[in-house]
Amino acid sequence: MEYQVITDEVTVQSTFFDSDRLCDIQSIDMESFSVETKDSEWLSSWNDWSELRVLPIQCSAPLPKTIGFAFPESTLWNANTLGTEPTERVIQDSTAPRETWSKNAPTKRITRIRPPGDLVRLEDRLYYLLQPPLETIVQSAKLVFPFTPFPYQMEGIAFLFSRAAAVLADEMGLGKTMQAITTIRMLLLSNELSHVLLICPKPLVTNWVREFRQWAPEIPLAVIEGDSHKRQWIWTNPQAPVKIANYELLMRDRELIDDGQLEFDLVVLDEAQRIKNRNSTTSEIVRSIPRSRSWALTGTPIENSVEDLVSIFEFLSPGYLRDDMHHKSLCQATRDYVLRRTKDKVLTDMPPKLFREADLDLSAEQRLSYRAAEEEGVVHLAELGESITIQHVFELVLRLKQICNFDPTTGTSSKLERLEADLEEVAASGQKAIIFSQWVETLDILARRLDRYHPLQYHGRIASNKRDGVIERFKSDPKCKVILMSYGAGAVGLNLQFCHYVFLFDRWWNPAIEDQAINRAHRLGVKQPVTVTRMMSVDTIEQRIHDVLEEKRQLFNSLFADNAAPRNLGLSQKEIFGLFGLSIPTAKNQKAA
Amino acid sequence: MESSKKNANTIGFLTVRKHELQGYVGGLLVLNELARPLEFHCTLPIQTTRSQQILYGPTLDGFVAGEQIARSLMLKPRSQPVIYFTDTLAALSSRHVDPQLIAAVEGAWSGASSALPHPKAESCDIPCIAVGGYRFMVMPNYEKDLEAVARIVEPLLGASIDLIEPFSRIEEALMEAHPATRAA
Repeated sequence: MEYQVITDEVTVQSTFFDSDRLCDIQSIDMESFSVETKDSEWLSSWNDWSELRVLPIQCSAPLPKTIGFAFPESTLWNANTLGTEPTERVIQDSTAPRETWSKNAPTKRITRIRPPGDLVRLEDRLYYLLQPPLETIVQSAKLVFPFTPFPYQMEGIAFLFSRAAAVLADEMGLGKTMQAITTIRMLLLSNELSHVLLICPKPLVTNWVREFRQWAPEIPLAVIEGDSHKRQWIWTNPQAPVKIANYELLMRDRELIDDGQLEFDLVVLDEAQRIKNRNSTTSEIVRSIPRSRSWALTGTPIENSVEDLVSIFEFLSPGYLRDDMHHKSLCQATRDYVLRRTKDKVLTDMPPKLFREADLDLSAEQRLSYRAAEEEGVVHLAELGESITIQHVFELVLRLKQICNFDPTTGTSSKLERLEADLEEVAASGQKAIIFSQWVETLDILARRLDRYHPLQYHGRIASNKRDGVIERFKSDPKCKVILMSYGAGAVGLNLQFCHYVFLFDRWWNPAIEDQAINRAHRLGVKQPVTVTRMMSVDTIEQRIHDVLEEKRQLFNSLFADNAAPRNLGLSQKEIFGLFGLSIPTAKNQKAA
Repeated sequence: MESSKKNANTIGFLTVRKHELQGYVGGLLVLNELARPLEFHCTLPIQTTRSQQILYGPTLDGFVAGEQIARSLMLKPRSQPVIYFTDTLAALSSRHVDPQLIAAVEGAWSGASSALPHPKAESCDIPCIAVGGYRFMVMPNYEKDLEAVARIVEPLLGASIDLIEPFSRIEEALMEAHPATRAA
């Protein structure tokens, strides 16, 4: 018999020691090498030592191979210079029993950061995957918030945190500003960012400053303004990690931007639909800013056509999308980059929007004027023959829409009559109302006719440095029951959630702009349902446009919903001519609006 | 053996997963006192041999999870954690071959997937201590470790560090590093 036992190897084996027999062995005494088994026949054959051979069996193995990564540690997290008061949210009571983690107990809410799909390196993906839940970061860094963020807002922050290219396309009023600011704050603290540029429309600069003060008071800001010397100094000032510029100003400072001296870790575009025309100078300048990360904030990534979204992506990731991409491919390609939530999905306990369709007949005087204008206009268009352009049609549309507001000769208006009746009720109940129109002239007339409600005006003719004062007075002056706003000036960035009545005196071409206007009042913090009265003159051009608007609304919904069918995009030239039963004079079929 | 210094501000979270097809895989996450990741190490999936299964019998999990996987992972950190927490009872066996302090934390992340049992004080006869809302277990014959565990854990609880949540991060990181274990 031949056997040996060494430290890591047992060197006993025989030809009979096959795997089928192993299960029969009861025990092996390694000292005496006696084998007990129930199988006597097999055991007798075991005694035929002449066939015994010795083979090595490896019992232990070298230590397993490992892979590992080390991550940078930011000292800023430990500095604890952010605030002294803990956040309202109680993340965890360390003295409480650990039941929340047991399998049968409900789990506490945690929001995890996920790596984006386009991040390839395992090390980079693990860096984000291994970050603590946002709630832990908030608590451990003692971040102070003015109020506890909603869970969907934490998810939005987690979404932005790891992304180099992202579109936060939440519906207006869900707090895109707060989500962007808080993410910037966390990224600054973790040393992932040090130079941030935020670009927004000029009227919203003060709003952003205010929001930064509220949500990230410790972050030094620099608003780019003043004469060219001052602006140059601010652009290059390293002291402020966050700089705020407006779109209008970029044009003036183009030389400085093109110079290549400026470089940002992150560029955020607020109201990113401003670059929907990729050939515009603003879009070109924005795209030329050197940066590592690019975020776009917009409630309306598609205002007219998918080309709007493609243009935004030219800023985020040039060449990633194409205009001719199939609808399904576009949905798939953008899925990991676009986060869009709507109020009805995430704020189920938010007071609803109540729509009232005020479909009104024109007054007798308006009807006479309208018919005359339409007949004359259509005849004129027909006479133009092949020389007719889209501009001619637009002129007629606008003229007819104005008659739907007020009769040009007598000034009568069925809309105004209805509005006055409604406003009496609104004022009597101590409430305030916002009235939107596309024309400043209409707002002027309304201001005169609604004088008893001390209306305030907020539109393009009000100097931008006076606009904050207008809003402040509307909030605080109990006599001011009405604010008159143009869609252009009042559609974005304002918080008027104390107002529970919105009137759309006339309709905009684009439902997304109307939604933005309505959401000045219907946003976070609103305490009551918001009643939206949409005024429309029946059997007029307004009704025909309404049908087209509805189709555009469906387009938007289709792109951001799963399994959506492709839609006819935009308001085509054919459709605009079709408003008057006309056909296009040439074969050219271009997008017009 | 790679040498590294103990760092009182870092703690290690160590887990070993056992999957029917892929075998054993281990992960180690080193965190700072704010629960931010400093290092992550994981093993390649390893399979036991038939002879190991026979000869180690019921102690096989302890051998592979503790003496092989946990030991190899504990050699890796640049800055040695002051303590290792594990959610895998079998990983405590590393104490036989490595002097570093390791304690099993009772409880488990609800999404954990492994054929290895999670620590439960009631169902096993090993030294246990309750500190704050947690219960910790150490290897038999190393009862003295419990005092050290209590001494280290108390300040951590003051900082409100969650001692279970990091295991969920390791689980996801292992699935990311070894996608085959995702389906298991």
